[in-house]
Amino acid sequence: MTTRRTTYLLALTAASTLALGACGGGTLGGGGDEGGEEADGTIKIGLLVPQSGVYKSLGDDMRAGFEVYLEEHDNTLGGLEVEVVLADEGETAESGKAAADKLVKQDQVTVVTGVVSSAVMNGVVDLFETSKIPLVGSNASPTTLTDAEFIWRTSYVNDEPGEALGAYVAENVDGGVYFLAADYQAGKDEVSGFKKSFEPAGGETVDEVYTPFPATTNFQPFLANAKASGAEALFSFYAGGAAVEFVKQYDQFGLKGEIAHYSAGFLTEGGVLDGQGASAEGTFTAMNYNYDLDNELNASFVEAYVAKTDRNPTTYAMASYDAAKVLDLAIEAAGEADPEAINTAIGEISEIESPRGTWTWSEIGTPVQTWYLREVKEVDGTLTNVIIDELGELGG
Amino acid sequence: MTGWLDAHLVSMVDGVAYGLLLFTLAVGLSLVFGMMDVLNLAHGTLYLAGAYTAYALSDGSWLGLLVALLVGLLVGLAGGGLLAAAVAPLQGRGHLDQAALTLGIALIAAEVMAMFFGAEVLPTAPPGSLARSVSVLDHSYPLYRLVFIAVAGVLAVLVYLAFERSSVGALVRATVADRDMVRAMGVDTRKVLFGVFAFGAVLATVGGVLGAPIIAPGPGIDDRVLVLSLVVIVIGGLGSVRGALLGALLIGQVQTLGVALTPAFAPFLLFGAMLLVLVLRPQGLSSLGRA
Repeated sequence: MTTRRTTYLLALTAASTLALGACGGGTLGGGGDEGGEEADGTIKIGLLVPQSGVYKSLGDDMRAGFEVYLEEHDNTLGGLEVEVVLADEGETAESGKAAADKLVKQDQVTVVTGVVSSAVMNGVVDLFETSKIPLVGSNASPTTLTDAEFIWRTSYVNDEPGEALGAYVAENVDGGVYFLAADYQAGKDEVSGFKKSFEPAGGETVDEVYTPFPATTNFQPFLANAKASGAEALFSFYAGGAAVEFVKQYDQFGLKGEIAHYSAGFLTEGGVLDGQGASAEGTFTAMNYNYDLDNELNASFVEAYVAKTDRNPTTYAMASYDAAKVLDLAIEAAGEADPEAINTAIGEISEIESPRGTWTWSEIGTPVQTWYLREVKEVDGTLTNVIIDELGELGG
Repeated sequence: MTGWLDAHLVSMVDGVAYGLLLFTLAVGLSLVFGMMDVLNLAHGTLYLAGAYTAYALSDGSWLGLLVALLVGLLVGLAGGGLLAAAVAPLQGRGHLDQAALTLGIALIAAEVMAMFFGAEVLPTAPPGSLARSVSVLDHSYPLYRLVFIAVAGVLAVLVYLAFERSSVGALVRATVADRDMVRAMGVDTRKVLFGVFAFGAVLATVGGVLGAPIIAPGPGIDDRVLVLSLVVIVIGGLGSVRGALLGALLIGQVQTLGVALTPAFAPFLLFGAMLLVLVLRPQGLSSLGRA
């Protein structure tokens, strides 16, 4: 009798622990609230990035990228002294939304930048549109976000890494392609982006499977099915911890070397590559940036970033650096810390010089930029992404 | 039929590896709950602590693994003792207080570990001679997982024998069944409780040390293995080693073979299995073998 009751209790606990885990984070961080009005010549900028949870390392990169720009410009943007208010995006839409709310309503920042997760981005659209505060996002960019007036992104639209690769894979792989992606918005966007250019180029799909996220740590059953399918190549979408596990198991279960592995760039971007080790070698990815790009601005950015963090910049750091640049130009043009004036000025920026090369705004407020094919190779004893081809321009 | 078997053999083998890993976690949680009526939500933290120990100490050599195992053992003893001492004053205050306390401990421990080890998942290398894949009937399979099956299998048998066949085990089972009666017979049940708590914690950290190359340590892993072990003991039944083993092996297969067969239903399989058992056999599977 009591056993039965306690069993139900346990079942309930198992279910609610899941929910609890999902609510964690979000309340930490934030800055001092003196509540004072902003003094002349300063501007309050909200930096909304994860400082806890699975995306923490992305958040760290974005924060460092933003800070590198500030340090290069004496902590001013457009002539105004910058006060950065840090908020923890956490892991989920709820934690991110709460942090954004706090930035806008309590801290009363003039502009916000950051946002890693697409779910958070979807959740805060209304907040920024109705309070008329510009959000210069530096990572998340769901495909559905096409008509926002106050939301800009210096990264790329979610489906673009896939779209950049699709035609290339269709032309260079002789046989069918298997799709394996994390089961959430970004994973589905990536696969549909890939197919957008893959199918017109005559590519053949073997199967399309989505793995539960973030619950999947063991990819063995999925990889076994992929291996048995007879596909020539596999296109995947994973980031963070899942990317490490996926790439390692791809090697362990004997797919590496037999089935060519193509993926969106973040599979091997940043810290995850160290975790993957030699298993990652030979993985092909598409990305809008790589630290080895040969231009002057990139050279100085890489130098400053390495000096600050002791690691090479990622696309996340670079996009955040660019967000600071966009704000710098816009605040200068607006001449005051007024959200609406700054928003108008952002839209009027004709081109942005960036470590990735010069880019312009697309119609939906994302960059028009060149894409690159990278392969993981060993260079001077360390594994790194190396650009091996250009994949053309997207976003126009 | 042979074609089917060939295609899914690796998944089934992997299910056994996974199931045995879950067993090392679930058995401690199940006994502590069954005996002390203590819901220890910090149990996943013990696994994570063990896995981080393996990451920090194993350098690809056998000696490294041995040192990691010893340290993991000590971490488990210390962790189990501390947790048992922490929940002792809450005896009889109901599950909510215990859950709040152990969850709080789990959250603090998770933050502390994140401070030391960072936010990345840290894949842990097994000893060098095991860090390769071998061919199992023409399918590539990581050698380490095969060895893990053997080691964890032996561990499971030992735990089973100790609880079901030894006199200490009989005492523990008696405490699960009727704590007051055992106390009335002059046994200090608190010692039994501390012992079981520490034992369960040691199993979880040792499971973490051995399991690190399979479920790598990282933020959030503590929650994930906690949920899995809770489901295992719901399925297997409370306070029983046999139940934990049955439940763990079943969930192992559900998570591998089940997923390979019906990938589209992968997100629902775990809780689907739990729901099914709750509906058909709310007391858990372990009562199957009982009179």
